[in-house]
Amino acid sequence: MALISEENQETIRKHFDEALSGDVEIVMFTEHESPIIIPGKQPCETCADTQALLEEVTALSDKLTLTVREISSSKEEAFALGIDRVPAFVCNGAARGRVRFFGIPSGYEFSGLIADLVDVSNGTTSLSDETREYLSALTENVNIKVFTTPN
Amino acid sequence: MAVESEHVTADVIEAMEFPDLARRYGVRGVPKIVINETTEFVGALPEAQYLAHVRAAVEPNGNTE
Repeated sequence: MALISEENQETIRKHFDEALSGDVEIVMFTEHESPIIIPGKQPCETCADTQALLEEVTALSDKLTLTVREISSSKEEAFALGIDRVPAFVCNGAARGRVRFFGIPSGYEFSGLIADLVDVSNGTTSLSDETREYLSALTENVNIKVFTTPN
Repeated sequence: MAVESEHVTADVIEAMEFPDLARRYGVRGVPKIVINETTEFVGALPEAQYLAHVRAAVEPNGNTE
């Protein structure tokens, strides 16, 4: 069964058609289920659902693609992107900086994902001129962590 | 903000999936925002106040020049 209802798929597809301008590649890091149980190591409970959700989202526009990497065999790439846990993904497009998600973007965060994909596609935001001027003049690195929950 | 500046990295973190991070950053309510490990606030703020927190993290001594 689809994670996104048919009605919502249609709404998002139309929104993407109108709002996306450039391509966005989502690079997701995951951990496939292992038949071996390692003591002390928790299996990734949301990796499969996160991948399924991102497959559904990226299927709603030909401007969106999904690349899935097994973190254990892509450690260098993950490290370079600052990803040390799964599920996690980055949205590559016209953003000047980097947008990363850790954990499944469900519930409230799902609309945040859709909005971020649009911004990353366009390379612009609806922020005020003052904020955008300040950000474009930044010379120091800034990391913003936003903690959320699904509901 | 990460869309607008090459110096900004934005991380959206699902707190319930990563309790170690939620503990480390003292997450008791969401959305909780932590900027450069030094500045934090809880709740959705108007953009100007959000930007003020970013400035506070970048310019801890209040030097805006």
